[in-house]
Amino acid sequence: MSDLDRQIEQLKKCEPLKESECLLAKPPNLIPLRICGDIHGQFYDMKELFKVGGDCPKTNYLFLGDFVDRGFYSVETFLLLLALKVRYPDRITLIRGNHESRQITQVYGFYDECLRKYGSVNVWRYCTDIFDYLSLSALIENKIFSVHGGLSPAISTLDQIRTIDRKQEVPHDGAMCDLLWSDPEDIVDGWGLSPRGAGFLFGGSVVTTFNHANNIDYICRAHQLVMEGYKWMFNHQIVTVWSAPNYCYRCGNVAAILELDENLNKQFRVFDAAPQDRDALLVDLDDLCVWQPMGKRCFMMNQERRQPKNQHQITFYETNLVKFYNLSSNTLALINKKIYGRTKEMILCNTEGICTLAA
Amino acid sequence: MAANGGLHEPFPGTAASPPNTFRHREFKIETQKLPILKAGPIDEMTKNLGIAPPEMIFGDNYVLIEHEPTGWTIKFNAFDALDKVDKTGQAMLQVAHSGEWKKSREHHHEGIKEVVKPFDWSYTTDYKGTTSAEPQFQPSTTPIPLGLLRRPDPIRFFDEVMLYEDELADNGMSMLSCKIRVMPDRLLLLVRLFMRLDGVMCRIRDTRVFVEFGTKEVIREYTAKEEQYEILRQKLAMTREDVPASLRDANKLSELVPVVEKTLERVQLP
Repeated sequence: MSDLDRQIEQLKKCEPLKESECLLAKPPNLIPLRICGDIHGQFYDMKELFKVGGDCPKTNYLFLGDFVDRGFYSVETFLLLLALKVRYPDRITLIRGNHESRQITQVYGFYDECLRKYGSVNVWRYCTDIFDYLSLSALIENKIFSVHGGLSPAISTLDQIRTIDRKQEVPHDGAMCDLLWSDPEDIVDGWGLSPRGAGFLFGGSVVTTFNHANNIDYICRAHQLVMEGYKWMFNHQIVTVWSAPNYCYRCGNVAAILELDENLNKQFRVFDAAPQDRDALLVDLDDLCVWQPMGKRCFMMNQERRQPKNQHQITFYETNLVKFYNLSSNTLALINKKIYGRTKEMILCNTEGICTLAA
Repeated sequence: MAANGGLHEPFPGTAASPPNTFRHREFKIETQKLPILKAGPIDEMTKNLGIAPPEMIFGDNYVLIEHEPTGWTIKFNAFDALDKVDKTGQAMLQVAHSGEWKKSREHHHEGIKEVVKPFDWSYTTDYKGTTSAEPQFQPSTTPIPLGLLRRPDPIRFFDEVMLYEDELADNGMSMLSCKIRVMPDRLLLLVRLFMRLDGVMCRIRDTRVFVEFGTKEVIREYTAKEEQYEILRQKLAMTREDVPASLRDANKLSELVPVVEKTLERVQLP
């Protein structure tokens, strides 16, 4: 019987659940375990991750936050992780990243994506409400401390983290903010201030002190892009794990997950991006079709140019710049529908005699 | 996220691949597109620059225009662009919530005072390209002939090359990219720095290089644009545009952000 079934049976008898059974408060104490860094809405790359690491629930997972924003599939990514969490609460743990916030998601894509996919912001609102319940950190076998960003000068013991009232929007300052935002930095010894005017940087001695005081082996965090997928710092006292390959679909980096076996032996699994699919292009072209009659943009489709069979080319002029897209017939048909359905006249009044549109 | 072109291209391999070369009339155009740098080269670049490079650093990428008979070249690469970023911290911006953040810690952690390596972390650069020896660019009043560029000439070669990008620790974005298109009689290259610090300001720095193959005249135009974030947001609110999406679109913003500096130069190749 799954936990959820047992809980339902228990509740049917009017017996309350234990506080520790509250879904998102569950500790991730199951090893072997795979630890994953930022995903950022790169759904197909996350599927690649599950292929490399093994399916959930057969394998246990800990995700270090930043599920949403920047990629094209924040909605699908977070909902799948959340559904897995509901179905297999013991098998997967999600902790909060700095992008699991109302303010950040309005700037970096998740809000817009919800609006585009659902026509309203309700799903964004529900998801951001859930963000407030995510844990800020996880402790694995009392030996590995996991957190999205890093340490805080307000936190010297793990017990202090337990006292944070975390069920709120990520604040601009204080311990909760630091755990999600701070970065380790080579050239500072103790604590330093970021030149950006907000936020802390911490050096090797801070990590040594923290690890010693809390009797842990090392800190595992995410938050920063690393080309090799993972990066040790300060003599193996802290590791950054990054799980979004070819970040933003253009960086060309590999990604990694950290595998821990029953004895906490560690191994990094490095993986590449999934083959890019046409859907990614379609989303981009959605933006392209939201375009104003008086703007300076215009299209040029199927120029006199040889194209591979079934491929069409759009040239997209914007204020003397030019962009090419190679499209499949299906995609082209979809665009045609969009353009002719909504904006045909606009195109004609926009061409200024310099562009033509051919279906 | 608005993808930045080139989506149809295959996943860039980590193996070294030869640059993309296109020869036309007396000119050679070369572009190189590789993944972001690995840890080793990043460390080396940090040492040579004296500042931390941006988070996404395409240090192997470049765009080159060469006049083959004379060997005259103009090249655009990330290192030279970053070398022109202010390294002293004098031109340093502060994120929008900085005041609030500093105030809240007035009575906490006062011992932490060291600002780690101050420099212009917005990576604003007035880079206009790296040129070879003679002939040098001279000040000029001749503008780039836009009329000629608006003609629907066939495009013989096009490429878009990223040089660097930084998310300013999720406080906005800074991006330097280069686009080039070659028509039968002329070419146009645009290197654009787009920097938006949320709640603070937006900067656009455009360097356009125009080459007329027939006359062998090269025109270089540099335009710096800058506007306060709030003013820009208000301007956008008066249009029918989607404000958050527009704030990510350098082309849209470019029309709204006023020019603060403009220079014109030319070179006559022999």
